[in-house]
Amino acid sequence: MMLVVAEQKEGRLNRASWEAIAAAQQLSAGSVPVAVAVLGSDVAAVAAELSAADVSGVWAVSHPQLASYTPDAFVAALAELVTALAPTHVCLPHTYQTRDFAPVLAARLDRALITDVTGLSRRDGVPVFTRPMFQGKLVAEVVAEGPAPHFVSFQIGAFRADSATRGSGAPVTARPASLQGATLRQTAEAPFQESKAAVDLSQAERIVAVGRGIKAQEHLALAQQLAAAFNAELAASRPICDNGWLPMERQIGSSGQTVAPKLYVAVGISGAIQHLVGMKGARTIVAINKDAEAPIFEVADYGIAGDLFEIAPALIAELGKA
Amino acid sequence: MERETLDVDILVVGAGPAGLSAALRLTQLQAAQGGTPLSIAVVDKAREPGAHSLSGALLDPSTLADLVPDFLAKGAPLACPVTNDNVYVLGAQKKFRLPITPPPFANHGNYVISLSHFVKWLAGQVEAAGVDLFMGFAGQSVLYEGTRVVGIRTSDRGVGKHGTSRGAVEPGADIRAKVTIFADGVRGHLTKDLLRTLQMGGSQPAQFAIGLKELWDVPADRLAPGTVIHTLGYPLRQEEFGGSWIYALPGGRLSIGLVVGLDYKDPLLDPHAAFQRFKLHPFVAGLLDGGQLVRFGAKALPEGGWNTQPALAADGALITGDAANFVNSMRLKGIHLAMRSGMLAADTACAAVRAGDTSVTQLGAYKAAVDASAIKRELYPVRNVHQAFGAGIVIGAAFAGLAMATGGRWPEDLQGHAGHTRMKTLSDYYGLEERDRLAGSNAVTPDRVLTFDKATSVHYAGVHHEENQPPHLLVQTDVCHSVCGPEFGHPCVKFCPANVYEMVDNGAGGRRLQLNASNCVHCKTCDIMDPYGVITWVAPEGGEGPHYDGM
Repeated sequence: MMLVVAEQKEGRLNRASWEAIAAAQQLSAGSVPVAVAVLGSDVAAVAAELSAADVSGVWAVSHPQLASYTPDAFVAALAELVTALAPTHVCLPHTYQTRDFAPVLAARLDRALITDVTGLSRRDGVPVFTRPMFQGKLVAEVVAEGPAPHFVSFQIGAFRADSATRGSGAPVTARPASLQGATLRQTAEAPFQESKAAVDLSQAERIVAVGRGIKAQEHLALAQQLAAAFNAELAASRPICDNGWLPMERQIGSSGQTVAPKLYVAVGISGAIQHLVGMKGARTIVAINKDAEAPIFEVADYGIAGDLFEIAPALIAELGKA
Repeated sequence: MERETLDVDILVVGAGPAGLSAALRLTQLQAAQGGTPLSIAVVDKAREPGAHSLSGALLDPSTLADLVPDFLAKGAPLACPVTNDNVYVLGAQKKFRLPITPPPFANHGNYVISLSHFVKWLAGQVEAAGVDLFMGFAGQSVLYEGTRVVGIRTSDRGVGKHGTSRGAVEPGADIRAKVTIFADGVRGHLTKDLLRTLQMGGSQPAQFAIGLKELWDVPADRLAPGTVIHTLGYPLRQEEFGGSWIYALPGGRLSIGLVVGLDYKDPLLDPHAAFQRFKLHPFVAGLLDGGQLVRFGAKALPEGGWNTQPALAADGALITGDAANFVNSMRLKGIHLAMRSGMLAADTACAAVRAGDTSVTQLGAYKAAVDASAIKRELYPVRNVHQAFGAGIVIGAAFAGLAMATGGRWPEDLQGHAGHTRMKTLSDYYGLEERDRLAGSNAVTPDRVLTFDKATSVHYAGVHHEENQPPHLLVQTDVCHSVCGPEFGHPCVKFCPANVYEMVDNGAGGRRLQLNASNCVHCKTCDIMDPYGVITWVAPEGGEGPHYDGM
């Protein structure tokens, strides 16, 4: 079997979990069953949500110490589970949390870990994983060595959540973690947000991103209205965040966030390669830029060459009618 | 917060060819001589060895053969031997091949290498010999006690843009040593501090050029591996020093680059744009046709030669390699000289520590060793050549010929000038009526096939810096809009190959300097060429910067 480790926080499923399920289904191609595990203190509801997937079962792994994420507790609980279930592969969404604990977990069990995987193929029946190198400039094909299980994390947006096949309700098994003999050195303090507007753009389904073409800080209001009209998060290219017009957490690109929303509207963004690597995985890209030669149009599905100060208000007006 | 300290016998600052050769030589001396083991440490700002190493590169293997006699058996990554030499003079559309290759350009017996790969291999030899490499630790300052150098302090980590904590601040460590060997490369920022503090400057001001390099993958049959091409002329003008290289590596990989002397007069000259123009020349475009850009990088290189070497020793300190300007600008080679100086510094440092005397008197043996070595034999005869190029490429080339014919015997040495002092003001260069012209005099619109803008180049340099850290380019920005604009037209925007310097609207009808510090490729050009001397390059947080794998 293959085991997908879903991620939840305060009872809310990270949608990248569905991407990992889709990836595992593709990896297994029906050859072995795929099961899902989710960890926390009370995960019954999330487990029920996951049982909609076409999987052999959902393990609801619970323990009071798993209420808030700590690497020690999660590694101990997952090491127990993985050792008990002996899967061929452990599939993880490449979230910040995975990045934190997966190396420890793989090292603890002395098994191979392949991170940030974007594609799958098979050679002589052996899975071959592709993953980016050099900020996406090169793509490496990686084959895991050594005994199973092999740990694999999948890049956010590389697999489509809606391509995960649904089933007729997988059985949910509650499984308390024992955490016996585990040394838990960390206790999580209450989560805090650095600013009220803290946002995880990787979770956004629609993003309106604004660039240098907006010219002045006071014009940001227009971009905000456009984002509101699309019911989208507002993001920006680097110059905007450099100027302090938007916080750095809203910066898309190689020195900011990598996102793959369903809709990405680039407004006044020329499309420097550093920006493109952060958003080219978006499903549909709409670009508005006055320079028809701008590189953003090379990745855009829909391009409008024109003045954003005319086009954005028109879009807002049209969207208001809908 | 407590600062860590580490005490060693010998500290090597910089894990390039000079520093690693010094470290390896120290382990060899240790093995040969026995006795109390010396403690040796090597620090470098790059995350891994070779990550900040960039050169053409052609390697004269003479020093390597002395340092690691069985270098071939040990798998030294010498991509291929040089098979043929070509020198062309380029016009705007045409090329003329020189019928004979001038002797300094003859490379028979040399190798085409990736310096980055070579440094990584050399670092492996050093680590195998038991030396700790502290990678990702940037030197922040030199530690002095009076006029004695007692080590260096590494930079803090985790400090945010405005000096506040980013979460967890880890203060830099003090690494204290009986002898510190400075191998921090061209315009090394710690060597610069050392030269100023202890007044160790050379008899002539140092001179530099900027080298811009790209790796391209082209169809494998385009050029035979080992083909070496140098060009003079286009896109540079008579008044500008420089030239290009094209080296063919195995597997259809080309190393191409342009060197532009950092003593040009045109304040609006843009070396990055000149490099783009170079690629558009029919000869070069033909070689690159159908190929793909793999990597970009830029780095300054010393050009001034023998007479620009600083005092090589101080109490507790030695200076080696590019930091000491040991480059033969006529042969376009310095790796073997850097390695040689590292070995000689190691000899001196080891003897001094053993003798219990690391004063400048004892360490002065290093200067005597350099004078008796291949470094002087190679650099002394050509000591005036670069300075002669100050009078233009024709006189410079004639002088280069004379230097070879006479073995460099001259009644009086030519005096060089710090390159940035030769830059002319806009009104001197363009005339009063053109003073408001701000576009680069040689700007190119990128086609994104052969030519690229600076931001794209930065991407191909693999540069990464934490954005939220104090700027590592210290600029007195008050002169930018008010003085530099009208006088020079913001040459920093032009000479920086990485778009670090940008003049933006200041919201009050004027312009202000915006520093895109995280773009920096660590080339040091701004520290060298800014006409007012108000830019100081200090190291950003260790472990970041460009990633020059294969360069």
